[in-house]
Amino acid sequence: MNCEVAHERIVLAAYGELTDEQAHELERHLAACPDCSHERQQILALQALAAVHPVIEPDANLVARSRLRLEEALDSLPPKRWYERIGQSILRNVAGLQAAPLAAVLLLVIGAGAGTLGGYEFAQDRMAHVAGRVQAASVQPKPAEEAPAEIANISSIARQPNSDMIEVRYNQLVPQRAEGPLDDPAIRQLLMLASENASSAGVRDDSVGLLAAACRAGHACKGDGFRDVLMTALRYDKNEGVRAKALEGLEPYVAEDMRVRDSVLEAVLYDSDPRIRTAAINVLEPVEADTSVRQVLSTVANSDHNPHIRNASREVLSRAPVIQ
Amino acid sequence: MDEPGRGQERQQTRAPEMELIREAQAGSRAAFDELVRQYEQQVLRLALHLTGSEQDAEDIYQEAFLKAFRYIGNFRFECSFYTWIYRIVTNLCLDQLRRKKTRREDQSVVLDHSGDEIDVLSSVSDNRSFSNPGKELDRKVLGERIQAALNKLTPRERMVFELKHYQGLRLRTIGEMLNTTEETAKNTLFRATKKLRNQLAGLR
Repeated sequence: MNCEVAHERIVLAAYGELTDEQAHELERHLAACPDCSHERQQILALQALAAVHPVIEPDANLVARSRLRLEEALDSLPPKRWYERIGQSILRNVAGLQAAPLAAVLLLVIGAGAGTLGGYEFAQDRMAHVAGRVQAASVQPKPAEEAPAEIANISSIARQPNSDMIEVRYNQLVPQRAEGPLDDPAIRQLLMLASENASSAGVRDDSVGLLAAACRAGHACKGDGFRDVLMTALRYDKNEGVRAKALEGLEPYVAEDMRVRDSVLEAVLYDSDPRIRTAAINVLEPVEADTSVRQVLSTVANSDHNPHIRNASREVLSRAPVIQ
Repeated sequence: MDEPGRGQERQQTRAPEMELIREAQAGSRAAFDELVRQYEQQVLRLALHLTGSEQDAEDIYQEAFLKAFRYIGNFRFECSFYTWIYRIVTNLCLDQLRRKKTRREDQSVVLDHSGDEIDVLSSVSDNRSFSNPGKELDRKVLGERIQAALNKLTPRERMVFELKHYQGLRLRTIGEMLNTTEETAKNTLFRATKKLRNQLAGLR
C-alpha cells in the first residue's frame, strides 16, 4: 500500500468505512510508516475538534411550531383534481405491474389493441381532413389505378322496423396519390402526417428525411410545425434511422430554440441507441456552456452505461468554460 | 381496555412504512402526518446544524415536507423513503448553503426563532458549579474557528462532511441522497477533511 492510498484509508477508517481486511492492511502500513501514523493522529484530532461544534437535538417547541406551520400549509392546499389522482394511480399501478409479468403482458395486449383501434380511427379522421385540404390545393390528387376501395370500419348497423331491410353505415379507404414540390403546403402536410403516422419505418424515414433536409437548407422550418414533427420523431420514433434524421434536421436550431435544445438533451439522456446519444452530444456544441446542458452532460459523464459516451461528455465538459 | 382512538393510533404507528406510504399516495392525510412524525426530528436536526438558525431550519422543514406531500405520488419504492426524503432535504440545504455562503457570523451559537442566541457550547460544557470562564472562552473561540473552517468548504463538501461526520451516514447512503456515486462521495469527503486539516492546523 502506498502512502496516498493509506491517507485515504485513514479517513475511511476514522469513519468506520473500511472492511476488516482493509483495516488490517492499514494497521500494518501505519506500523511501518511514521508519516502516515502522524496523518492518522491529525485526522483523529480533526474529529475531536469538529466535535466542538456539536449537533443539538431540536427542542420540543421548535418541533411543535414546525409541525403546526406545516399542518396549516397542508390544510390550505387545494384538493387534488380527479384526473390528477387517476393519473398518479395509473402510473403507480403500471410501475407495480413490473412485478406481475403475466398481467403486464395482458395489459400490453389489451392496450395495444385499444391503442391501434384508437390510432387507426384518429388517422382516418386526419387522413380525411388532409385529403380535403389536398383537394383544395393546386396539386390534383389522382386515384390510384385499379385499386379497390377497402372498408375501413363499420360505424352503425340498423334494422328498419317491420322490414327485412338492414342499413349499414361504413367508411371506405380510397387510395389516393399526390404529387408536387416540397414548397407545396399540401405536400408538406402529407409529409408531416407520414412522419407521425406511417406504419412503415421506411415511409417515416423518407418523410422525416425530406423534412430534415428542408430544415437544414434553412427554409421552410420556421412555421408549419416542421420542427415539432422532427422533435416528436426524435422523441418517440422506434426506428433509430428516423430519429437520427430528425436530429440532423434539428441541429441548425439548437442554439436559437430552447425547445429544440431540451429535445436534444432528452435524447442524450434517454435515447436507447448510443450512436444517437453521441450524435446528440455533438449537436449540443453551440450551447455547451449552458447550465442545463452542463448538468445533463455531468449526469451522463457519471452514469451512462456506454464508456464512449461518458468520455465524449467529459470531453465537452472540459472544453466548455466553467460558469461561475 | 384501550379506547378505540388510542388503539387506532397505536395501530397507525405500528403500520409498516410501505403501507403508510401507499395510504399517503392514495390521499390519506393521517398517513402522511404519521410519516412526517417519523422523520421530522432528523430533518430538523440536520437543517439546524447546517444553517445555525431555528428559523431557517423551520423553513427547510416546511419546504421539504410540502414537496414530499406534493410528489409522494411519484415515489416508486426504488429507494427507501428515508433516502428519498433526505434527498429532498439535502437539496434544500445545499440551496441554502449556496445562498448564505458568506453570511455566517458568530457560529458557536444557534439562533432561536426570535433571533436570540442559544449558546450551544454552554450546553456541552462542564456541568460543575464552579466552571472555568477561561476554558469556556477557549471553547467558544474554538467553536468559531471550526465554523469558519467549515464555511470555507464548498456547499457539497460541507454537506458530505455534515452527513458523514455529524449525522453518521454511510458513504453509500450519502451518494444516493446526493444523486451521485459512493466513489464521488468518498472523494468529496477526502477533499473536505484535507481542507479542514489545513484550516485547523495548529489548533489543539
